[in-house]
Order: sequence, then structure tokens, then C-alpha cells
Amino acid sequence: MITTLITGLVLGGTYALVAMGLTLQYGISRIMNLAYGEILIFAAFAAFLLFSTLGINPILGLAIVLPLAFAFGYLIYGVMMQPLVARSKKSGTLEVDSILATFGLLFVIQGVMLVVFGSNYTSYNFLNTGINVLGTNIAANRLLAFALAVIIGATLFYVLTRTRWGTTIRAIAVNPDAAPLVGIDVNRTARFAFALGTMLAASGGVMISMYQTFNASMGVVFTMKALVIVIMGGLGNLMGALVAGLLLGIVETLVATHVDPGLTLAATYLLFLGVLLWKPSGLFGKAAGR
Amino acid sequence: MLEVTNLSLRYGRHLALNQVSLRIAEGETVVILGANGAGKSSLLKAIAGLAKAEAGSGVTLDGKSILGTKPHLIPEAGIALVPEGRGVFGDLTVEENLLLGANPKRARASETERHALIFDLFPRLAERKGQLVRTMSGGEQQMVAIGRALMSHPRFLMLDEPSLGLAPIVVTELFGALKRVKETGVGLLLVEQNVSISLSISDRGYLMEAGRITGENSAEALKTDPAVQQAFLGGAAA
Ligand SMILES: Nc1ncnc2c1ncn2[C@@H]1O[C@H](COP(=O)(O)OP(=O)(O)OP(=O)(O)O)[C@@H](O)[C@H]1O
Ligand SMILES: [Mg+2]
Repeated sequence: MITTLITGLVLGGTYALVAMGLTLQYGISRIMNLAYGEILIFAAFAAFLLFSTLGINPILGLAIVLPLAFAFGYLIYGVMMQPLVARSKKSGTLEVDSILATFGLLFVIQGVMLVVFGSNYTSYNFLNTGINVLGTNIAANRLLAFALAVIIGATLFYVLTRTRWGTTIRAIAVNPDAAPLVGIDVNRTARFAFALGTMLAASGGVMISMYQTFNASMGVVFTMKALVIVIMGGLGNLMGALVAGLLLGIVETLVATHVDPGLTLAATYLLFLGVLLWKPSGLFGKAAGR
Repeated sequence: MLEVTNLSLRYGRHLALNQVSLRIAEGETVVILGANGAGKSSLLKAIAGLAKAEAGSGVTLDGKSILGTKPHLIPEAGIALVPEGRGVFGDLTVEENLLLGANPKRARASETERHALIFDLFPRLAERKGQLVRTMSGGEQQMVAIGRALMSHPRFLMLDEPSLGLAPIVVTELFGALKRVKETGVGLLLVEQNVSISLSISDRGYLMEAGRITGENSAEALKTDPAVQQAFLGGAAA
């Protein structure tokens, strides 16, 4: 039982981080990014490539992958999303438009990965030694991934909730119309939040590559899980994403070890439905945000 | 000096502002009185860059045009707006709303003093720093909106019907605070339908009817001007 809990928490840490990124993109920038998981998998491949060809370990790899992911998100928002945002001021169809646009992006990124990396499962050996935690044997790479998730997640949480700059990001989700009154450039801030979300997706990808096998067509599973977590936690709610992410990690591990590994996805949905029936606006959601 | 010259504004075919001109000097308090639909909110929005004026319109601050400036740069120029409906960040706390108010760079140097001034003006906010603004009463939310605007260290503060929907006792309290704000040297451009209380703190006033300025006088003279009554009764006959 303790083993399951610890393994679940460790997995949930990555989920929580990944979900925080999606909540930045969807909850704050109002872009429903269907290519989210593809960016994550792309980063996993990048970490693999850096490790296997240049011998750069994934921790250092983060320092290379994350800035690139940020730049990519920043660019994508400027090129693809900005026109949709401008158009939606009149039509109010940003959600549908962004789903269609990123659906296309999903296939572009996936296609590139299939061509470059093929469709086989990939993994690499990094810190694959067992460490004893409270009597449970856990791979060092998983523990490291968890520690990284905690550090990145806590830093982000602190910045978003305790600094003025972070508060401006939350402000555009709360009341975008009032944001200019306090000197916030909504467009620029939304773009920044989107890029930050891309960066979190990539950090999740690097972590997953450290302890799990992955392939080029796995992205959609992560998009879906992140979405489930975000909605469970309450749209745009960071604390919610954190708690729901950890919860999902534990439930998945419980089901995989005690019931059947094939039922984890089904369990994800059951949990999702359960939370939504019990609290329609998510664990930490507000009745009416605006 | 904040000056508006021949400002016109359209919503589709509807001419909401028709060649409006007015000015407000440093530290002056000016009220714009007009009935529903006269164009008062449109005027403040146009100055704040939130609505696009027609060609030929002019808005200048110290002689420099600010027309066409992006709305998020207007607070940086020293003009703050407390909009109709307050525009507070409901899901953020009082303290966070004030923190955001000091977001423009011009506000940073004096942030601590302003923060203290606002809690002095509205002691109720000091008691409720951590409360989510959407859970507050209308009067308290208006205090947050005014406090937030003051945090930006404005030279000119524009207020769109701050008394709307508030109990008389709260209105009195609010205008008492505005009077103290005025004494700190901030110019106030006030839009109101509450004639008597707004004239009581104003230096001058304009009458507005169907998108036009129809009169201008000192607050003293306006208090007894029959045209003031006229502006409200005749406002609908556009
Ligand atoms: N976004 C808009 N689209 C179309 N028409 C508008 C819009 N905003 C205002 N109007 C119209 O412009 C005119 C002036 O509106 P405005 O809100 O400026 O008046 P107001 O003096 O502030 O009225 P109130 O006292 O009711 O707030 C009204 O006839 C209104 O219907
Ligand atoms: Mg109005």
C-alpha cells in the first residue's frame, strides 16, 4: 500500500506539473491546445537525443530544452493564435478556433516526430538504480523527476501567487476587460502565459523520458490526462491542478497494481466523472468565475 | 492639463459623442452631469483609449496628443479610470487588487505611501485585505476600485458614476474620501447623475445631453441652474 502511494505520488508529481502548464494555456490564455501532449513527447525525444548522442544528462538537458520550448510557444502564439484572438474579439469563438488550429498543429508535430524518430518505443538508461524510501524500492530517476516537479511547481506557484508579475497573469484570467486599467497588456501577458505553459509541457516530457518508455504517437494520452486534471481541479486553478494531478497519479498506480494495468485509463475517467458529479466546477472551482 | 477637443465617437451609425470639448486643469475637480445614454461613459472610455474616436477628435495631456494610445499605456501617462461597474478583479483579494493598481511603472516609487494613504481613506479595506473582492458589498467594491486606481499614482482620476446603486450613507462616505483625494492634488473627472453631492465637491461642471456638451459653469452656479434639471428631464429627447 505504501509502495503504491509513493509510486503514485511520484507519477502524480509529473502529472501535476504538466496540468499546471495546460491550465496556464487554457485557463489563462484561453487557448485549448490539443497539441499539448505532442510538445511534451517532443521534449522527451529531445532529452533522449541529447543524452544518447551528446551524453548530456536530462537535468542539463532541461536547461537546453526549456528555453527552446518557451521560444516555440511564444512563436506559435504570435503566428497562429494572435490572429485568432484578434478575430474572436468580435465573434467570441476563440475556443473552437484554437481547438481546430491546434488539432492541425498536433499532426504536424506528430508527423515530424514519426519521420525523425520512427514509431517505436524509446527509452534510455539514466540513474536506473533502486533507492529505498520508507521500505519501498523506487528508481532514482523517478525520485529525481519528482524532486524536479516539486521544485519547478513550487517556484511557479510562488511566482504566480505571491509576486505582482504573477498576479498580472492571474488578473487577465479573472477580468481581461479590466486588465488594461492597471496597465496590463493583455495580449502580451496571454502570450507569455502560453509560452510558460509550453515550457511546463516540455519539462514534463523531459521528466517522463527519464523513467518511462515513450513513442511518437503517445502525445494525445498526455493531453487528455492534463485536460482531465485541469477540469477536475477547476479551470485556471493552480492549486486544483496540483491536487488533482497527485490524485490521478495515485489512483492510476492503485488501479495498475491492484486491479489491472489495462484499466488505468478507464479509472482516470471514472475519477473524472466522479469529481464532476460531486463538484461540477472542479475540486477548487468557483461557482462563477466572472 | 487634460484637454478634449471636438471628440466624436460612433457605435455603428449611432453618434454617441458629437464634437465634445472640455478641459480639466491640474488638481481641478470637474463633474459631467447627464441623463442615461447622454454619452458620459463613452467619453471616459474614449479618453482611456478603450473606445476609438472619430477622425478629427483630439485628446491631449499637457499639449501632447494621447489619442490612439493603447489603453494599457494610459495609466502610465497618469490617467486612471474607475469604470462603470467598477471593473475590479473579483476572484482576487483586496490586497492583490491594490498590488495590481501599482503595476504601472510610474507608481512604483511611491507605492508604500499610497498603500498607506488608501488604508487611511478606506479603513474598511485595511480590515479586509485578504477577502476576495467579489464577496464584498457594492460600496466596498467601489472603494477597492478607487483604491486600485489611486495606487497607479494618477494625475487625473476619472470616475464613472461611483455612487450608482449605493446607499446614501455609503455615497456620503465615498465622496468624503474623494474630497480628501482631491486635497492631495489629484485632478478628478467625475461622471454622475447624483447632482447635489457631486457638485458639492466639484470646482466646475459640464452638462451633457445626447452626445453633446450643452452647458458649462462653476459648481456654485450650477447648483442653482434650472438647466441642470433640464439636462436630466430632457436627456431622452435626442
Ligand atoms: N458598445 C456599444 N455599442 C453600441 N452602442 C453603444 C455602446 N455603448 C454605448 N452605446 C450607446 O451610446 C450612447 C451613449 O452611451 P453611454 O454608455 O456613453 O451613456 P451614459 O451617459 O454613460 O449612460 P448611463 O448614464 O446610462 O451610464 C447610448 O445611446 C448607448 O446605447
Ligand atoms: Mg454610463
